[in-house]
Amino acid sequence: MKYNILYTLLVWCMGLIQMAWGQETELSGRVTNAENQPIIGASIALEGSPYGGISDENGRFVIREKIEGEYTLVASYLGYTTYRQGIKVNVGDKYKFAIKLESAAITIDGITVSGKTELREVREKAYNVTVIDALQLHNTTLDVGHALDRISGIRVRESGGVGSQMNISLNGFRGKQVRFLIDGIPMDNFGSAFQMNNIPIHLAERIEVYKGVVPIGLGADALGGAINIITRAQKRNELEASYSFGSFNTHRFNIYGVFTGENGLIAKVNAFANYSDNDYKVAVDAADINTGAYFPKQNLRRFHDQYHNQTLIASIGVRDVSYADHLSAEMTVGSSYKEIQTGARIVTVFGAWHRRGTIIKPALKYQKKDLGIENLDLTLNAHYNFGSEQNIDTLNRRYNWLGQYKEYENDGGERSYSTYKYRNNNGLAMANLTYRLNDGSSLVLSNTFNSFNRQGSDALFPDNDAYDRPKKNLKNISGLGYNLKFEEWDGSIFMKNYNQQNYFSQSYNPTGIYGDVAYVNAHNSTNLLGYGLAVSHFFNSNFQIKTSYEKSYRMPETEELFGDLINLRGNLSLRPEHSHNINLGADFWWNIKDAEKLHISSNLFYRNAKDFIRPRLDNNQTMQIMDNLGKVINMGIETEVRYHLNKSFNIGGNLTYQDLRNNVQYEEGQTVESVVYRDRIPNMPFLYGNADASYTFDNLWNKGHKLTLGYNGLYVHGFYLYWPSLGNDKLDIPDQISHDVTLTYSLGRKMQFVVETRNLMDSKLYDNFSLQKPGRSLTGKIKYTFL
Amino acid sequence: MNKPYFLLVAIFLSLFFISCDNDDNGDTGDPEIPSGDVTKYVIAATPTASEGVADYLLTVDDLTGGVISTQGNGVEQDGTYRYYVTSNNKFYSLLYGQGNPGAVTTYILDADGELEKISDFQSETVQAFAPIGDEILLAKISRNIDEPFASWYRLSTESNQFVGEGQINTEVLANNGEVAFFTWITEVDGKAYMPYMSVKACCNDRFGTSYPDSGWIAVFDYPSMEFEKVITDDRISGIGRYFTNGLSVDEKGDVYAVSSAVSSNNGELTASNPGAIVRINSGEDEFDPNYFFDLEQASGGYYPTFHVYAGQGKFVLNMEAVADRGTYSTGKKYAIADVYNKTFTWVTGLPDADDIVLVTSRNNFASADGKTVAVGITTQTSSYVYNIDIATATATQGLEVQGGKITAIHELSYTE
Repeated sequence: MKYNILYTLLVWCMGLIQMAWGQETELSGRVTNAENQPIIGASIALEGSPYGGISDENGRFVIREKIEGEYTLVASYLGYTTYRQGIKVNVGDKYKFAIKLESAAITIDGITVSGKTELREVREKAYNVTVIDALQLHNTTLDVGHALDRISGIRVRESGGVGSQMNISLNGFRGKQVRFLIDGIPMDNFGSAFQMNNIPIHLAERIEVYKGVVPIGLGADALGGAINIITRAQKRNELEASYSFGSFNTHRFNIYGVFTGENGLIAKVNAFANYSDNDYKVAVDAADINTGAYFPKQNLRRFHDQYHNQTLIASIGVRDVSYADHLSAEMTVGSSYKEIQTGARIVTVFGAWHRRGTIIKPALKYQKKDLGIENLDLTLNAHYNFGSEQNIDTLNRRYNWLGQYKEYENDGGERSYSTYKYRNNNGLAMANLTYRLNDGSSLVLSNTFNSFNRQGSDALFPDNDAYDRPKKNLKNISGLGYNLKFEEWDGSIFMKNYNQQNYFSQSYNPTGIYGDVAYVNAHNSTNLLGYGLAVSHFFNSNFQIKTSYEKSYRMPETEELFGDLINLRGNLSLRPEHSHNINLGADFWWNIKDAEKLHISSNLFYRNAKDFIRPRLDNNQTMQIMDNLGKVINMGIETEVRYHLNKSFNIGGNLTYQDLRNNVQYEEGQTVESVVYRDRIPNMPFLYGNADASYTFDNLWNKGHKLTLGYNGLYVHGFYLYWPSLGNDKLDIPDQISHDVTLTYSLGRKMQFVVETRNLMDSKLYDNFSLQKPGRSLTGKIKYTFL
Repeated sequence: MNKPYFLLVAIFLSLFFISCDNDDNGDTGDPEIPSGDVTKYVIAATPTASEGVADYLLTVDDLTGGVISTQGNGVEQDGTYRYYVTSNNKFYSLLYGQGNPGAVTTYILDADGELEKISDFQSETVQAFAPIGDEILLAKISRNIDEPFASWYRLSTESNQFVGEGQINTEVLANNGEVAFFTWITEVDGKAYMPYMSVKACCNDRFGTSYPDSGWIAVFDYPSMEFEKVITDDRISGIGRYFTNGLSVDEKGDVYAVSSAVSSNNGELTASNPGAIVRINSGEDEFDPNYFFDLEQASGGYYPTFHVYAGQGKFVLNMEAVADRGTYSTGKKYAIADVYNKTFTWVTGLPDADDIVLVTSRNNFASADGKTVAVGITTQTSSYVYNIDIATATATQGLEVQGGKITAIHELSYTE
């Protein structure tokens, strides 16, 4: 923490004093919170004297002074009630203290301003980071993806209901420009059975959203930011189960259990399943199956959109043993089934095409502090995904929105005759080495290695494999950073090396005789260097300013390079995306009175990006292909305000404005300025926000019974589908407003009931062109905590 | 317990800040559209930009001069990759839906000469479409040898609905182990003439062929679409190209086939026959063995990429140097070929080919009297309609279209 340098100086000085003067009194001990977790950086002082210290990362402190007599030992930390204890000491004696700090802030279901040390610790990093306290959302029926939708700067866009494709836009960046991580491990190529919008919020303890600059320890080539899901810490035995049932025949089930044994043994199980028919109504023009004539504006149910997935994550490991602080082996197994109702546009309707996916992912995690050398910490993570994806389109039919179809006799599919199945054989290994210097600064070395080797075949066309040779890709990102803490300053400077190697073989026909195939092996590689810095400063304990800059890259994804063999054609000549990111943010915490707290956070951002990787149609116009297109400048501001009253009421809201402008002044081959130069990037929300409020009735009817009423509202300003300055008869997406209301009733710690209505007013919500999202839905949930 | 009620009221009050959903249903039925006495041109323009691009339909009275822009002007189409066809004085805007069905929007000119949307209907994504009589014939063609079928659809331009459909087995049609891929459709004497290229339709070389030196036309009766025969010529390569018409009928009923000779195999151009024009005499069902117009020889080393038939045996051709020949390339030099006299004349008055960035390839406009062909050309500074006077082979710069390349020039008429 920020006092560390002082502390170190102090200790060092005291060491000198000790050498000079000999006998000293030693006061030592540990500062913890109510859950016995160490509090790092708590200040310990002897009131009225110049003596004191700071607790270390284990919560321990030592004060060695040549003192005697009566003092008051004071221990304090932001967000906790100050601890006081009168003591009487004799010269040369040793005294031990176990100090427990009580959380000063509200610890009910409202999001707490302070007192959540980890949350605030992350927030106070020099990076521009927003943290969602996921524990607060465990009493909703959200998945991780939808929880993100409530963060300032984030817009989640999806193509339909449960299990639909989800795309997150973060301060103007979208798609793969934003990386997802789970416990700091990149979620690349996890497959369709393990995605943001099928992971229940119960899995997470908190979600960190890095906007712009991402710490090197995360080892990601994120251009626009990263979202890091921190899973629940394994502190003690826990077992809870929840089940929810709602509109459109949606079921969600989750079991979470942690079992701690002798000698640091820990076993953890997280199982979840989602099921939905997604048969909500949409307003469509339904075409006559034979004549093509439209029956306009029909209100019809989706009929081929069933989705289910089931996933089990089990781990076993040890904690706090001599050779490891944490060592665990984890296995994720799961499968998903998804029916495909529409193409990219709502007019394109399917009735039988579906996909299946599996995940079989063993993983290993290792953490050790003071590895051999004191202050040298190591973290190792590795996983391999044996999962597969399959595209099944075997009925030669044409459906309409009424569910009618005509069938053709010959073999074929609705889109493309296929049972193609492939494995990406994705592996990942990452290592982080941190060396903590005595002055409170630290040196971090990080390396993340990804491998990919696609193999696939289609039982329908066994002969076709010949031309689709395996495709391999190796990606390595290494980073070196130095974190400096000096008084109220906190800074990071870092460098990242991006390296990508693509190995592929191209088929060709050596003789010109039909069917003759030969291969030529090819290889291309990219090596790039990025760098940046982040600085933050506390003017006082309630006001912080942070700023950061990064020159960053985003490497092409394996699917973008090699295609998905369904709708995306590979492009091996893709270059990385490139961006300069600048952030300037301020945070202000204000305790108006004891019971009232206010937090205001605001961030200005600037992004100058080029070589955006964007889809276009390939030459044959049957598939999309990703290409480097365009330059964009994005300037924007996001602001969040939150107010708490007592333990019972909290209200907050956030608003984001992003001014994304086309920065291509001259289109290729043109000497006059582009007609859309400086025009607003179309089909992107540019003004949006959330508002939420919750009120808790404590000890309602019975002691321990609690009723929480929650509200969440969403606003997205209307935007144009295509360039705003062109045309006079235009297509647009209108303003969207939706309201969710949640009622939670808790009977003590054990039992909890939730009733949630989303999109209460049944407004028409759209994303991605004309694809409609569900109307009003009602969901009930029951959660039972066994342990 | 007063506070909670206040809170509930506050929440529900806030729920009334709801946006209204404006339904503007533009459907006005489907009136009969007689030909009018005032002519207007419909120009489809695609803005030059990297993403988020839609086509805009602009209307003008005159192609010979003036300036028009997409900025704040034009009827926005849902996306680019749209194709346009005019029939029965209606303008059809088709979305190329990447293999999936898409909406086709039909426009007419209203009494004020403005584009008016009269209907939407759904169509498959097709690779060939052309008016035949009062109908439009559309074909969706497989490029996969494992499903070797082309589907055809007959669209009535009276009702704007499909009135018939069927399938053609393109592997049987090709009869050489490959499949037939129709390049386009041309009405000849009331029949559907569908030239095709032979393609492997497999693997990494779907449009490659082992038969680079033949051209074929499948003849179908219309509207029954009964297969009649294949007309073959081994002096040329494929007729037309992917999504490109290679067949035109003159006033005498003679049929002229233009071959670009761009057949390939595994990425290598393999046609040994030259880019040329051959003829089927009116009433015959074979190519005239005595007629062969070698365009590469006549032009001194250029081959044709696109053609527009002007009239009286005159073809306006986009020509590209043989050295730069490519399967999908577009020639930026213009010439007039007189197929009656086998003469070849370069068009003058156009920007130098090196200064041309893009040309309108498929939807250039030939005037009804056959005297003028209007072509769209994008230079480094703007886009222009150039009007080629067929008699003198000279072009004059006409209408400037700012902020976009010209993808189609069509004509509609209306009655004031």
